[in-house]
Amino acid sequence: MTREEVLSEIQSRFGDVILDFFDKSAKRVYIELQPRALVPVARHLFAELGARFHIASGMDSRTHLEVLYHFSVEALNLLVSLRVKLDKNDPRVDSLASTIKAAAWIEREMHELLGIQFSGNQDLRRLLLSEEWPAGVYPLRRDYREWDPGAVRDRGV
Amino acid sequence: MPKSVISIGPYHPLQEEPEHFQLTVEGEKVVDIEVSVGYNHRGIEKLSERRSFDQATFVIERICGICSTSHPFAYTQAVEDIIPVEVPERAKYIRTIIAEGERIHSHLLWFGLAGHFLGYNTVYMWMWRLREEILDVMEILSGNRQNYAMFKPGGVRRDIKPEDIPLAIKKIDSILPTVDRLKKAILDDPVLHARLKGIGTLTKEEAIAYCALGPTSRASGVARDVRKDAPYGAYDRLDWNMIVTANGDVWDKAVVRLLELYESIKIMKHCLLNLPGGEIDLNLKSIPPGEGIGAHEAPRGETFHYVRSDGTNRPARHKVRAPTFMNLPTLKATVPGSSIADAAIILAAIDPCYCCTERMAVRSADGRKLYSGEELLRLSREKTSRIQKELGKR
Amino acid sequence: MKLPKLRELLEAVNSLVHRPYTSRFPFEPHTPYPSFRGQPKYDPDRCLGCLACEEVCPTEAIAHRDLTDDGTPRRVMIHYTDTCIFCGSCEAACIADHQGIRLSADWELSFFDRAKESFETIDKELAICEICGSVIACRDHLRWIAERLGELAFSSPTLYQTRLRELGIIDPILLEAARSFGREDRMKILCARCRRQTTLTTAAWPQGQEAGQGLT
Repeated sequence: MTREEVLSEIQSRFGDVILDFFDKSAKRVYIELQPRALVPVARHLFAELGARFHIASGMDSRTHLEVLYHFSVEALNLLVSLRVKLDKNDPRVDSLASTIKAAAWIEREMHELLGIQFSGNQDLRRLLLSEEWPAGVYPLRRDYREWDPGAVRDRGV
Repeated sequence: MPKSVISIGPYHPLQEEPEHFQLTVEGEKVVDIEVSVGYNHRGIEKLSERRSFDQATFVIERICGICSTSHPFAYTQAVEDIIPVEVPERAKYIRTIIAEGERIHSHLLWFGLAGHFLGYNTVYMWMWRLREEILDVMEILSGNRQNYAMFKPGGVRRDIKPEDIPLAIKKIDSILPTVDRLKKAILDDPVLHARLKGIGTLTKEEAIAYCALGPTSRASGVARDVRKDAPYGAYDRLDWNMIVTANGDVWDKAVVRLLELYESIKIMKHCLLNLPGGEIDLNLKSIPPGEGIGAHEAPRGETFHYVRSDGTNRPARHKVRAPTFMNLPTLKATVPGSSIADAAIILAAIDPCYCCTERMAVRSADGRKLYSGEELLRLSREKTSRIQKELGKR
Repeated sequence: MKLPKLRELLEAVNSLVHRPYTSRFPFEPHTPYPSFRGQPKYDPDRCLGCLACEEVCPTEAIAHRDLTDDGTPRRVMIHYTDTCIFCGSCEAACIADHQGIRLSADWELSFFDRAKESFETIDKELAICEICGSVIACRDHLRWIAERLGELAFSSPTLYQTRLRELGIIDPILLEAARSFGREDRMKILCARCRRQTTLTTAAWPQGQEAGQGLT
């Protein structure tokens, strides 16, 4: 399939859930989806097109939280990023871990660093933070403040 | 048979970085493995947000000592992808030279460690002595053996002087005969065949399901290499081969890395001898708002960086994904079913780089002294000497 | 297995005969390659005290202190050895043709006393405002700017007075001419605030006010 065929199929099949379609360059496409449509589109890319799942990157965009899922169709040198925007007060999205095994660890990481709930993922244990880290403190959020009075502050930074 | 749990880590004589494995064993066989990481977490993604785009390159370099070039390479490509813009030709060649030099030293390091786990300490010493030549080359070209400080968004920081190139080529050429000798010594050895063949097999379907990367996936027959799939740098300016084998066991992973050594030497020499003239830096003054993605084939697989800019001189978000993050979960597929003596070499076969995998605040991890890790090492070496005796008898 | 065994035997004999690969450091000194990035060192004659190195340093390993209370006003540039990452950004940013601070080949940098030995300093003479006493910039930096502006340097008395004072020339005719019109304060080395005030006023300095008190 050519690049145009791939993109037009995505647009025709999922057109009703696509909020924004940004064709940035020959290698990069950014698609914004409604959160409920994430799993079907991701399944289409991963299972049907055979695209590789790179990683998911979550970020705090001040007014909302957003998560980007990056897939690449290697034969076409095309990287498709699916964006979902989540409400900051109750960020939840369906889990991809059952469809794509590789997504299990990154969902654990985003859960503990940003506080995003992945419905359907039973295993959201801590991956990177230690057990002593207080619950409800999300380091990658903009409103994160240093909570540990015993942290060492050295010259420099 | 009753099950018992062997705990390896966090302080681990097998590898330099802290990690925690829990192997559930029944008798001699491993039935399950649980991988815990997070001991090296330093907060680098958050640190990037407090530095300018140019200064952040130095933080990114220090994510890992072995793959010190891979992260800046992917990061600078991500920043250049925001605009998007292409760096000058000479900068592309210099970046490729440094990246391939790093690949050579990293693979030699892995061979040394693999020899160490199997009990072949001679291989360990030889490979690391060979590494000294390539590290000298990196010192000549960039000024340091690690953390080369060569990359910046828009190009490279320092030029390669023409008078340094003959000495660099001479040193790279001096590695080849020894690699040839070691290749024959490794590939002919029946003890190594018995030790590594059929161990820790990762099937092609599992490699695709777990999205494994680098030599781990190429050994399982998945022909993926960012340098070929999405060419960047000088990788599409010359002919070189992607090494893919079919079986996916530890033996294949070793063979892939060995043959990649030859390809890297070829690429590095070609780029050094054919350096084009011109500028080395675009002198980017400001980065417009937007987002960019950069990827580079590190020695362990694909490094992926995502950078979001909001028009200031600092990244608004910087996501770093190292290859070991995707390769570690494959251990759940390769380790169960093997014997305990093989666990050490299977864990090492994915060439784990934990400091790449986790990048946030280190908390006082009270190191629990463990003796089971040393036990694993001893078991591994005992198996090797057992096989050596058996083959010696024949 | 016979042939490979021979190969390894030859290698073993080879290693026995040749001397070990490791050098006999510390009994033999080690000189790195010329391009090695070692300890950054200031050149007191070339450094201008412009603080460009401090701005770009990724780890904030360069700091400065302006001492105006005792003796000659001076700026102390401090480089912290234990925070430095030897990246070379300071040398790349140095406006004095990359000669004010340069990475030497020194790599044996360990010390015992962090409070005394973990940093290196140089002093640069400061130019301070003749009215309010606040810091303008280092003398050498002003001189550097004046040199590069050529004839345009004469637009700012701060710049050309610095240059003339350095050459040892203080023109009494200029000063007399200014005094008789009551704009004597323009012919002084001033900070930016005082410069604006003296340029925009035609009045003489208010009687009874002393230098160092600043303009209100």
